[in-house]
Amino acid sequence: MIYREGKARALEGERSPARKRLRPGHLGSETLRYLVLLAFLVFFMLPILSFVLWAFKTEAEIATAPFAIPANPEWENLARAWTVGRFSRYLPNTILYAIAVVTTVCFLSCLAGYALARLPFYGRTVFLVIILVGLIVPFEAIMIPLYYLVRDLHMLGTYWAFIVPAAALGLPFGTFLISAFFRSLPKELGDAGRIDGCGEWGVFWHVMLPLAKPGLTTLAVFQFIWTWNAFLLPLVLVQRDELRPVSLALLFFQDRFTADRGMIAAGILLTIAPLIFVYILLQRQFIEGVTAGAVK
Amino acid sequence: MATGPLHQPTSLRLRRLWRTSGAAYLFILPTFVLCVIFILYPFASSFYLSLTDWDGARAVKNFIGLGNYFRLVQDRLLWQSLQNNVIWMVLGSAIPISLGLTLALLLWSRPRGFLTFRTLFFMPQIVGWAVTGIIWANIYRARRGVLPQLGQTFDWDFLKLSFLANPDLALYAVLLAAIWFSIGFFFVILLAGLQNVDMELIDAAKIDGANAAQRLWHVVIPQLSHVITVVTVLALIGGLKVFDIIWTMTRGGPGNATEVIGTYTYKKAFVESSVGYGAALSMVMALLALITSLVFLRIRERGQQ
Repeated sequence: MIYREGKARALEGERSPARKRLRPGHLGSETLRYLVLLAFLVFFMLPILSFVLWAFKTEAEIATAPFAIPANPEWENLARAWTVGRFSRYLPNTILYAIAVVTTVCFLSCLAGYALARLPFYGRTVFLVIILVGLIVPFEAIMIPLYYLVRDLHMLGTYWAFIVPAAALGLPFGTFLISAFFRSLPKELGDAGRIDGCGEWGVFWHVMLPLAKPGLTTLAVFQFIWTWNAFLLPLVLVQRDELRPVSLALLFFQDRFTADRGMIAAGILLTIAPLIFVYILLQRQFIEGVTAGAVK
Repeated sequence: MATGPLHQPTSLRLRRLWRTSGAAYLFILPTFVLCVIFILYPFASSFYLSLTDWDGARAVKNFIGLGNYFRLVQDRLLWQSLQNNVIWMVLGSAIPISLGLTLALLLWSRPRGFLTFRTLFFMPQIVGWAVTGIIWANIYRARRGVLPQLGQTFDWDFLKLSFLANPDLALYAVLLAAIWFSIGFFFVILLAGLQNVDMELIDAAKIDGANAAQRLWHVVIPQLSHVITVVTVLALIGGLKVFDIIWTMTRGGPGNATEVIGTYTYKKAFVESSVGYGAALSMVMALLALITSLVFLRIRERGQQ
């Protein structure tokens, strides 16, 4: 279920028939439309914005004027969240997890997705069933033995405890998405490469992979949000404080500094600022990625 | 997996298998191995553990057959959790889907500010479940939260209630946060679905004298029905699996007022060390997710025909 933005773009290009035909005749309904849209805008943005502002306020300011823009921004909250709150540790952890999981999932999904879409092999059905099971099984249904497995593999208390299971859990969806993408490419492309004397690997690496870039970007972005925001997985598998990612650290942070709202807000800001920055840059891919993730 | 003709000697069959499938096997090998070790094996192991009374520490696992399953049928807390899941599935799908559809319809014609609205409506999705929970917990928190303070300022008694500490309100308070989070998701998918609606039919209906509401109900919604079904099933599965936002806001409390099967399973397995019983609970969730997913696949198939 991947709805391509292309269609919407085409619509926009021809001055959108919808725009002409549905435009209400009078000003009243247009005003109403914007009133509703703005009301929702406030509903969505107020919680996020007020917390961003709190990060720059003293406790007194939060108590007296929770929604006002701080007169002189207070940097102390961010500094303390970074040092006392140990975000100097958690943020690099999350970045490491995100990079490791996203690259692993993208690379391996490309390999498997390509084989599934374009190469003949015995046991295809078995492999497909494994992918399907991986898509359907909820994490809660495997987390208990997974904990003991990771412990027995001596990965508890290392970065691997997050990276390896998270990558494995991302693979079914990745393989599924990428194989759908490869299937949409014309078959003749690979044949041309084969005639030119490339091996299967050469065809994959030089011909197919460059063409898969749009699908790969979608997957990378989806996997990035998923890894950055992962919560239950590290809650079960990452138990040493210094290995925690931001999303999980925030929970313990909140319990420890309940009264210090400025600092909690600073922690939230440090968690979401990088995400929002990337989101603004790669908006279209984000929306496509999450829409594609609808399957998961 | 070898399915070559049976009368051939094994070595020949293997060589043949390698020639036809070898390249593909190398391509899928890492994915295959990781999925088997970290998904399939734990899943099978979950089922096995659900037939034991293991506590996570002892060396022996006593096999007790279906004992855990008999126990969970009579477990009042499980039924209460499932009831909360059902409330979550109904309200957590109906409300955000209808609001998402409203927003999608309002932005369908791409009015001025379309991109800004879409970007910002989708923002909660980027923030993620866990952070949403933490933000909203601070909005509600007794006395020091945003809402109680607003109540103080305007002297509205209703807002002075401590929503998350009140067993009658906590679940709905958490649901409101979840709705805030999920509207953007449904909005974006439904907006994409609207791009496929046939404009000619709408014009025809207009000429036939149908008003806006009739056009929406009789022309637009039927064409969107497939997307709406898909989105509904996704919302239902989401309502079954919900964990992060409840854990960050209430941890299932106060009492067990916001307990769902996810939090209950986690508590049994990792807090109370009833690993066997926790595994049985996780099997219940897997079964329910499987049923819902199968329905989903059926619908997708029908939609593709």
